[in-house]
Amino acid sequence: MSLPFIWDTFVALLAGVPVTLQLTIISVLTGMVLALILAVLRLSPSKLTRFLVSTYVFAFRGSPMLVQIFLIYYGLGQFKATLQDLHLWFWFRDPYFCVLLALSLNTAAYGCEIIRGGLQSVPAQQVEAGRACGMSGLLLFRRITLPIAARNIVPIYGNEIILMVKGTALASTVTIMEITGIAAKLISETYRAFEVFAAAGAIYLLINFFLMRLIGLVEHAMSPHLRHTQGPSEPVEAIVTTH
Amino acid sequence: MIDYLKLFGTGPDGWGDDLAIGAAITIAVAIVGFFLGAVFGSLVAWARLAGNLPLRLFGEGYTTVLRGIPDLLVIYLFYFGGSAALGAIMGLFGNQGFVALPSFAVGAAAIGVVSAAYQAEVFRASFTALSKGEMEAARAAGMHKWLMFRRIIVPQLLRHAIPGLGNVWLLVVKESALVSVTGLAELMRTTQLAAGSTRLPFDFYLAGALIYLAITIFSTLLFAQAERRSRRGFREAMR
Amino acid sequence: MTVIPAVSLCDIRKKFGHLEVLKGVSFDAKEGDVISILGSSGSGKSTMLRCINMLEVPTSGTVSIHGEQIATRVKNGSTVPANSRQVDRIRSDVAMVFQSFNLWSHMTILQNVIEAPIHVQNRPRKECIAEAEALLEKVGIADKRGAYPSELSGGQQQRAAIARALAQKPKVLLFDEPTSALDPELVGEVLTVMRALANEGRTMLVVTHEMGFAREVSDRILFLHKGQIEVDGRPDEIFTKGMNAQFDQFTSRVH
Repeated sequence: MSLPFIWDTFVALLAGVPVTLQLTIISVLTGMVLALILAVLRLSPSKLTRFLVSTYVFAFRGSPMLVQIFLIYYGLGQFKATLQDLHLWFWFRDPYFCVLLALSLNTAAYGCEIIRGGLQSVPAQQVEAGRACGMSGLLLFRRITLPIAARNIVPIYGNEIILMVKGTALASTVTIMEITGIAAKLISETYRAFEVFAAAGAIYLLINFFLMRLIGLVEHAMSPHLRHTQGPSEPVEAIVTTH
Repeated sequence: MIDYLKLFGTGPDGWGDDLAIGAAITIAVAIVGFFLGAVFGSLVAWARLAGNLPLRLFGEGYTTVLRGIPDLLVIYLFYFGGSAALGAIMGLFGNQGFVALPSFAVGAAAIGVVSAAYQAEVFRASFTALSKGEMEAARAAGMHKWLMFRRIIVPQLLRHAIPGLGNVWLLVVKESALVSVTGLAELMRTTQLAAGSTRLPFDFYLAGALIYLAITIFSTLLFAQAERRSRRGFREAMR
Repeated sequence: MTVIPAVSLCDIRKKFGHLEVLKGVSFDAKEGDVISILGSSGSGKSTMLRCINMLEVPTSGTVSIHGEQIATRVKNGSTVPANSRQVDRIRSDVAMVFQSFNLWSHMTILQNVIEAPIHVQNRPRKECIAEAEALLEKVGIADKRGAYPSELSGGQQQRAAIARALAQKPKVLLFDEPTSALDPELVGEVLTVMRALANEGRTMLVVTHEMGFAREVSDRILFLHKGQIEVDGRPDEIFTKGMNAQFDQFTSRVH
């Protein structure tokens, strides 16, 4: 266990941080937009639409992310000729694009459920109170439902973002040199797994720490009415959502 | 035209039997990992709930660290680190070079260590959800701690924990796909080999995904059944 | 020859942090006594009852059941029972009925009733089941033996809790506001069962707000105010006005 070695490793791994963060931010933002669309579609009156969205959500939450990445990166290579004709091959042969696509589609599935859960958790009495004073439709949604739902959603979506940071590690399996990719290379070169693990782990924990702080700030800013009371404890199920 | 029947069949060129074996190994490593995680997770939960300050800090640190670090990194640690440690020991006996650890053991251990962090949180939340009144009634009836634990606390803990444990199980199944990096011939690795060998990656990765989904559906049904049985008395109370 | 009291409290004091809830409470309960314990919230009546089976441990003072004093000692600045086996044994002989019933939710009514007799008192299963059935019959819910607590009404649950307490064959029965959590129309069925028990000659200590029950069924009434027993006497004696200022205030407010 040599400290100078850990430090050198730490510095070497930092090169992967921008890649990790890029992957995280782009996939989370894209996924969030997609999740919003899916969540709205989930409420559609058409049974077919609802079924399609549920199937999408089930497919991406029920299978390992690794399979999803490989399916897009390697699997679509089977249709190289077709994609070339559509001028799309340039995108689909790039591992970075494929990983982003896979991560976005994946987080969109979880995000859809989070948003849906948040909307459903708005107490009916509050909506009723809004109706009682004459609000309806878009106004009701905008002024009452969405703000209340958003406050419920932020902490859970925050957790999802942290999970996506972990998800970016899978990019290393398709040659992308983010933190875990560099770590794997270092381990296979030096065989000093413990030290490299410690350094890489520390970096991820630091990223998580700052992310949690950030999310906490957003929560705090959104909830002036809760500042004097203790928040409710997480439901048991919410503690264990992951990919 | 590809003959799918032959491709996924059990003949010499068919990958059907290999995929089935892969799926079986996936489930096996997931089960072993899950149980290891349950044992270790309950210890960590106990440390967080009933331990002195150093134990509580250890428990909290453990759950924070292992839920914040990518599972892939943990697997690399166990695989390369374990092999290095084993290599060092073997080196004492004059063995040179890389000694690979059995990938099943490594995979199950890594899964166990990570899922323990999640299971600890499930157990901890379940414990705090226990009804104080019912425990008081047990004390008032003269039950000593071990009897109360056995007859009142454990059944209720399980009732509260089953949904959360169901989620952890699904997590474990998906994590088992990462164990493929150790070379273990579970479903993911088998799919990879088939995809490479037949140059039909889409067909096989899709098949793999579908098999994982089948495992997910089956597990979800199983846990829903378990939940229903454990909730026998509580359906009314949930209204 | 002095009769050994069933329950004997001697100068019980109880502090929660800086708050002294019981400030020196003493009384003896003879076997067969039905004692109602009245008082406003915060008077310490529930705390006093819970000291009897050591669910609360008195900061100082002694509790004796049928002449056996429950041993306590001081540990890390607070008083704790000295011998947990003694406490378990005594608790087995002193049964408690709680305000919120506290039936074990994962067991059927019958299982609730036979639990302590089988696992704490180690009596044979067949005997316990037979007795449990008889007790459930007695409190009027024999048909609910296979149901779970959540399927019963409040009144039924409390009667099941009473059956569970009786199954322990206790020497003393403690009731901690047994009807306070019940809807008004369900209170009657529970009081009826309690009246029957009183008539059987059981030793009962009942913390309650039900003045009617206190007046008509008890042998003795204790009135607590701010941690002390202000009034201790027979119902026909103490309900005359002018005996005690606080008690008069209490009764006028409750009625």
